[in-house]
Amino acid sequence: MDILLDDQEVQIKEAASEFLAGECTSALVRKIETDPLQYSPLLWEKFAENGWLQLCLSDKNGGQELPLTYLALLFELAGYHIAPIPLHSTMVPALIIDRHGNAEQQALLQRVLSGDLILSHAVAEQNGRWAIDSIKLEGRVEGNELVLNGMKSFVGSFRASNQCLVIYRDAAAPNHLGVALVPTDASGLSSDALVSMAKDGEANVHFKQVRVPLGARIGKPEAGNSIALEVMDLSSVLYASMMAGAGLRTLDMAVAHAKQREAFGQPIGAFQAIQHLCANMVNAIDGTTMLSREALWRMDQKLPHRVNVAQAKSFGNEQCMMVVRSAQQIHGGMGFIRDFDLNLWYRRVASWSLRGGTAAEHRRTIAAALLDQPGKVRIGNIPTA
Amino acid sequence: MNFLFSAEEEKLRSTVRQFLAEHFTEEVRAENTAGKRGEGWGPAIRAFFDTVNEKRWFAWSWPTEFGGGGGDRTAQFVIEEEFYRSTGITLGGGTGAPAILSFGTAAQKKEFVPGAIKREIIFCQGYSEPGCGTDLAGIRCRAKRVGDKYIITGQKIYTTNAQNSTHIFLMCRTDPDSVRHRGLSILLVPMDVPGLTVRPLWTVQNDPPAPFGTTYGEERTNEVFFDDVEVPASCLLGEEGGGWEVARRGLNLDRVGAWRYLISVMRDEDIVNWLHGDGELQDSLRDDAQVRDKVAEMWTEAEVCRLMTMRSISIEQHGGKFTYEGSAEKVFAPEHSVRTTEAISQILGPYAQLMQGSPAAIEKGVFAHNILGAYQSTINHGSVQVMRDQVARIGLGLPRAAK
Repeated sequence: MDILLDDQEVQIKEAASEFLAGECTSALVRKIETDPLQYSPLLWEKFAENGWLQLCLSDKNGGQELPLTYLALLFELAGYHIAPIPLHSTMVPALIIDRHGNAEQQALLQRVLSGDLILSHAVAEQNGRWAIDSIKLEGRVEGNELVLNGMKSFVGSFRASNQCLVIYRDAAAPNHLGVALVPTDASGLSSDALVSMAKDGEANVHFKQVRVPLGARIGKPEAGNSIALEVMDLSSVLYASMMAGAGLRTLDMAVAHAKQREAFGQPIGAFQAIQHLCANMVNAIDGTTMLSREALWRMDQKLPHRVNVAQAKSFGNEQCMMVVRSAQQIHGGMGFIRDFDLNLWYRRVASWSLRGGTAAEHRRTIAAALLDQPGKVRIGNIPTA
Repeated sequence: MNFLFSAEEEKLRSTVRQFLAEHFTEEVRAENTAGKRGEGWGPAIRAFFDTVNEKRWFAWSWPTEFGGGGGDRTAQFVIEEEFYRSTGITLGGGTGAPAILSFGTAAQKKEFVPGAIKREIIFCQGYSEPGCGTDLAGIRCRAKRVGDKYIITGQKIYTTNAQNSTHIFLMCRTDPDSVRHRGLSILLVPMDVPGLTVRPLWTVQNDPPAPFGTTYGEERTNEVFFDDVEVPASCLLGEEGGGWEVARRGLNLDRVGAWRYLISVMRDEDIVNWLHGDGELQDSLRDDAQVRDKVAEMWTEAEVCRLMTMRSISIEQHGGKFTYEGSAEKVFAPEHSVRTTEAISQILGPYAQLMQGSPAAIEKGVFAHNILGAYQSTINHGSVQVMRDQVARIGLGLPRAAK
């Protein structure tokens, strides 16, 4: 047990931090928000060129096979710098293909790693719930094709992506979910761009008789439910990492502001009321960071991790929202002026806290693990969900 | 990053757990309780301590030359955790010894550390006074150097366990002209010297007494009076006037670790385990969506307490120093303890008011007694308000308020 970063983790974190700090200015973030593409192709290309997409994919697919904790560090930084790139939308399906995809799908990963192919993943549907039971999009096998009908909601970076990982319900066996990789230009697919607070290209996607070859399915049919959960867990926890990073940035901004802004004859940072808000922000950020790192570490070790993911996301949703709101409080009126940068982080954390599962949804998972199975519980010995 | 204890540490954990299941019998437990009450230590608890000491479990990570185990900090944490869970006994040689290891002379280390590990020497903490608590720079208790002696006058308060201690780890002012934290020193004062009087202060947990495992279930704390108490100058720990530095390290260590973490999270386990039962009350509460949501929320906070403790132990294992981490943990864990205690009481309703010995009390009244104890942890060892000041000033570099 040693939960501090080791030398290599520190090294990679510093390198990624330096890269993003240099490339990802608030001017760029603002420009991309109004760009129809809603991501920066140039930054994405450089990001890929620098190898940041390779960290945790397997060697055979061109990755560096580092533990998933490196992704925690990378996504914390992506949140800190609110990098306008489809990192979250791409990394989740990339990891799934790396683990479960067939040879043809895995061959696509080379193009993903070079930045040439952008991925997205579609889980939630019209009711907005983050729950397996709410997945209704129907997948029917007809001959050697899979036919998809229904809709997906809140699909991140869908319009930027070339391929979308879609979770569907098997029409022939309604208890089974399936996972398929669908080209975003497939016939019968249409999308509506949503205008979320994050302004990062979420979309609703409609499937009308969308036909893909059976080879587009990922993993064996009987593994569909567990792969679907894997998609959801990765998606949730990586949002938690991003929220922790974004929260840290707003703390840094708030502290810098509190040191120089004067009121009643002294810097407002000298007032305990401000200091105590900041101390609460520290614990909220550290808590989210440690919970999400632990969840990713356990995933990497192939240990039960659903409860850890649920803890990271439910805690992060509420606590990181408190962090960015406190940063607003410390900044006073300027915080809600559009031309001042703080709102860029505030709006993203607000959106991220609502995607990949709400606090109540994740706590259902935790409560089920704690209360619906026999045996004594003990903190640190996390029951399996 | 590695979030699991090693196979070796887990093996040690089960060895300790099994040992305690066999050796910490009801008889030993009863004698331990009597001993803590100041009624004397019986033969069974003494034999138990001797066996534990032979295994060097009391101070696993301390140097072997003073009776420690020479092991690493993480393994010691594992032992501490199992001991506190099963017995309520805190390890590590108790208060005082860590500071003596860091600041003591060779003679002091030899005199105090092996005895502290064997529990022949027990320190109580002499920090708070009627006029100062968390702001120790306001200390007035005076020690005047006269030749090769100090003459001490003044008063200490909230001196927990003074009735069982052989020595007091006394913070006092050795320079009468000094202000704030300059001019403070630490003296290691035997409790049996003439002029030293201990007077009990009975706590809110006194009647009825709290059940085992209650957060701050101590029945009594004390006042300690010094009326021209004479001690040899060799009682000084560290340098005269350097007491602030000596104390700071010890206080930081008091704010983290197995005991601090467990007193903050044990109720989270208790409520879940109790809800597993098949009573009518449990059945209805277990299916209540709001109860489930609150229990999950509190459990998650408890996991954050665990991770903060793992962070502290990782820092110590590396031989590092805390910047803000100890203070931050001393905010989050005690406040979690209060939040969960009060949330549980709202879940249990009127049953949560029933104390030990009452008919219909749940789990011997531990949830009621925790309402009387949990908030004490946001006060003792540095209030959470001052801990927040430290996070802000030391961790974030925010300025002090203008005078």
